[in-house]
Amino acid sequence: MPPIPTRTITIIGFAVAVVAMVVLEILARRPGSRIPTVGEWLGYLMRPKLGRVLVLVGWWWLGWHYFAR
Amino acid sequence: MATDGTTTAQRDHPGRWPRPLTGPRRPAHLALLALVGAGLAVYSWVIAGTAPFSRGALIGVVIPGAVLGTIALVRPPERIPPPEQLDVTGMSYWVICLAAFFEWEASAWRDSSWPWHPSFTNLIGPLLEPHLIKSAAILVWLLAGWALVRR
Repeated sequence: MPPIPTRTITIIGFAVAVVAMVVLEILARRPGSRIPTVGEWLGYLMRPKLGRVLVLVGWWWLGWHYFAR
Repeated sequence: MATDGTTTAQRDHPGRWPRPLTGPRRPAHLALLALVGAGLAVYSWVIAGTAPFSRGALIGVVIPGAVLGTIALVRPPERIPPPEQLDVTGMSYWVICLAAFFEWEASAWRDSSWPWHPSFTNLIGPLLEPHLIKSAAILVWLLAGWALVRR
């Protein structure tokens, strides 16, 4: 069996992390789930004004990083 | 919920829109929503057509940031009440996933040996090259920004 290229391993690692987050979000939306949804924990982080500013800056940075560069 | 009937979000950041944004949808309201949605779709389409590192691309992301930042600070809409607290066990699953993702990204960035250890950006970049896909991604980004302002 040929060795798995490191590129494939890297891609699999990202895929596992992303799929795990999608699964978590689905589990979080079940009634009575103890897992918070993305919106809930982001909302919790945004309760203080500093958290609100940091999350919005992070959102803007994502747009700049992927769409302006 | 407090004894006075207000939520934490309402007390901390009272909305200053003339009326709640989540009320019953009237035809005029739906038409306005459709108009705004069409406008955002056109905007996304135009920005997706700008060249990377160009002034147009930069302005295209600065304008939404400035608009939403101003709305969030000056005239915030009625916020969706955040939870009073998070379940530690439930949140720990998210922390593990996020830590794994960013550790993976950091190791790819540190190795900096494209194409053997591509970063997440290296992988996403080619997927965003088709105009339609990039337009859709920008539209999702804009809607996510509005969703964050409401949180």
